[in-house]
Amino acid sequence: MKTIAVSLAAALVFSTGVSSAADLAAGQAKVKEICQACHGMDGNSSNADYPRLGGQYPDYMAKALRDYKSGARKNAIMLGFAQGLTRQDIDNVAAYYASQSAVLVTRH
Amino acid sequence: MIKAVTFLGAAAFTLAGHAGAQSAVPAGDAAAGAKRTQMCVGCHGILGWRTAFPEVYKVPKLGGQHEAYIVKALQEYKSGERTHPSMRAIAASLSDREMADLAAYYSAPAATTASK
Repeated sequence: MKTIAVSLAAALVFSTGVSSAADLAAGQAKVKEICQACHGMDGNSSNADYPRLGGQYPDYMAKALRDYKSGARKNAIMLGFAQGLTRQDIDNVAAYYASQSAVLVTRH
Repeated sequence: MIKAVTFLGAAAFTLAGHAGAQSAVPAGDAAAGAKRTQMCVGCHGILGWRTAFPEVYKVPKLGGQHEAYIVKALQEYKSGERTHPSMRAIAASLSDREMADLAAYYSAPAATTASK
């Protein structure tokens, strides 16, 4: 029974692709330090070179950051910033921008 | 007189060339884009929809994104610079005009669509 519970917990964590311990306050601090100059504190950037991030899914943003960091997704600017982020930082900033929900929506 | 006409002609050509260079990406038609979402809605039109391959994560929300960024993403999938297999195949089938129309449709401000 204990094994099942552990497996379920692991499945939940892995299925979201984002650490369950994302820290919004830490994410906000990191965004203020690094991301907001281009993407804005609320993720509503005014320059089309920089995608809007407010309300975007956190697991998508975390994957994008991991791919920038590894070089799988090529962008000279984002490579530099992503390399300075730990896996926990990535989950935190992704959770923070996801919480800024007024910007992006699902459109049919 | 002939010189003046030639000069005007050259000036017009220069202006046209300049305008052409600025609008290398055609201006998008949101209404036309709305009719071309058949290949998009199966994933991007469903709240919380997840990719199944090669990695599992929720497909990005597009409503309210920058128009130019959407075009750039599609072009990067088409060229292979961005590598998601489904998006590469779909983007490869789109013309510059279709990309511009889809981007115009999806980039309309978030407030015009209800679902978050």
